[in-house]
Amino acid sequence: MECNDIQEKLSAYIEGIISSEEKLLIDEHLKACQQCNESLADLKKALEYVQKLEEMEPPPWLTQKVMARVRSEAELKRGIFQRLFYPLHIKLPIEAIAAIFIAITTVYIYKTIQPEMKLAKAPLEKIRPRALLEEKERTPPIDKGKPLPGKPAEQLMLAKEKEIPVVEHVEAPKAPAKVAKRDEVVPSAGVVKKGELKREALPYELRARALIEGKREGISLTINVKEIETASREIEKAFVQLGGKIIKKEYFENKNIIAAELDFKKVTELFEKLRPIGEVKDKALAFEAREGNVEIEIEIVKISIHP
Amino acid sequence: MREKKQTIRDEDYEFVSLCKKGDVDAFEVLVKKHQKRMFNIAYRMMGNYEEASEIVQDAFVSAYRGIKNFRGRAKFSTWLYTIVINLAKNRLKQLKARLHHEKYSIDNPIPTHESQIHGEPASSDLSALERLEKRETQQKVQGCIDSLDGEFKEVLVLKDIQGFSYDEISDLLKVPEGTVKSRLFRAREAVKDCLKKVIGDL
Repeated sequence: MECNDIQEKLSAYIEGIISSEEKLLIDEHLKACQQCNESLADLKKALEYVQKLEEMEPPPWLTQKVMARVRSEAELKRGIFQRLFYPLHIKLPIEAIAAIFIAITTVYIYKTIQPEMKLAKAPLEKIRPRALLEEKERTPPIDKGKPLPGKPAEQLMLAKEKEIPVVEHVEAPKAPAKVAKRDEVVPSAGVVKKGELKREALPYELRARALIEGKREGISLTINVKEIETASREIEKAFVQLGGKIIKKEYFENKNIIAAELDFKKVTELFEKLRPIGEVKDKALAFEAREGNVEIEIEIVKISIHP
Repeated sequence: MREKKQTIRDEDYEFVSLCKKGDVDAFEVLVKKHQKRMFNIAYRMMGNYEEASEIVQDAFVSAYRGIKNFRGRAKFSTWLYTIVINLAKNRLKQLKARLHHEKYSIDNPIPTHESQIHGEPASSDLSALERLEKRETQQKVQGCIDSLDGEFKEVLVLKDIQGFSYDEISDLLKVPEGTVKSRLFRAREAVKDCLKKVIGDL
């Protein structure tokens, strides 16, 4: 056996993982070969060096670092869907984006619609009086027998319009000092006297507006009294007696306004109570037979005694 | 023999099953249990403390990712060591490519300062000088291991440092036992020659 062959097998020889025949051959060779003996000794020594290498301690933070990464992996594994909705892990989760989107859309829609609503409202005010006019021409003024379904207010309005010129008390000199809307009807009554033409044009507009207001607010009344203060107190008392709730009290120079919420059934009673206090004029009666409370606004005006 | 291997009882089986169900704490148990050996394999492969730390972390993370695909044909520990060995080899290839133009060879092993810093505290019965000498020798040995090519290095690390059997190494590296042996013997010869140069008289 050549030295090269022997040296190739020395590693296995050291470990004893070699056939007995080969071992015998190597043993024989080693007895005679100094070079191979040295090789064997060197190999044994080298192996010893390697095996004596000390075990190293891993860094103390290793587990912690590994687990931190593993845990974040685990979070990722929860799936895209859950991640998107998991607020703590994404700074701007889908909910927030959705909320902002909805808010923007709402504002946008609102802004787009708003002018249209204004436009829609304006013609309504103009169309209504015209409709009233036409109706007035067609139907006899007082026709309570068969009110148009769904338009009881207009019907009432019609009836009232017919009555207005007939109204006895005249307030001609009373200029509309207050430009409050409530006042507008009063001068109109005065104006009526002056000419049929004006009556046709202007008052309708005003009345229509009053009608809309009346519809919205319930019942609007004007009561002409001798003494505003006392009348106001008495009216308040009347409301309280009937179980109404006063919502508004406004005091002006020559008039007071009291608004209250009252059970609809008590309205007739209220009217009875009002009659002794002063002269009641209903300005806009939105009398729709309804349940529950109605809002009643009473304007207390000092009676103007004409000479 | 194959059958025998398949029926091998894996002491980690319970925790591995828990991990597959998504139990992260069970994985932590496995990390704590295997990190030292993992680290030492990585360290002897890399010859660098920081690199070894990185590689062990990566190995555990990829083990966690792949644990659902772990079929249990080998022991869990064997599977783990395969991962760390492969990562270490890939990293070495990267580093080798980077250091290609520099003159590192058997004669000039990559210096390993880290072992100086992080070396285990020497036994108390050694004097300061002895300790220093020992450390120096260890560094030289590591330097010689570093000079080996990956496929020789891994068998040397697994057999002579970690003490795995040929059978285990064959499983781990997925190469026949005969190949493991011949690589190991060549690796030992290379280390012997290297040490003779570095240390002088053995």
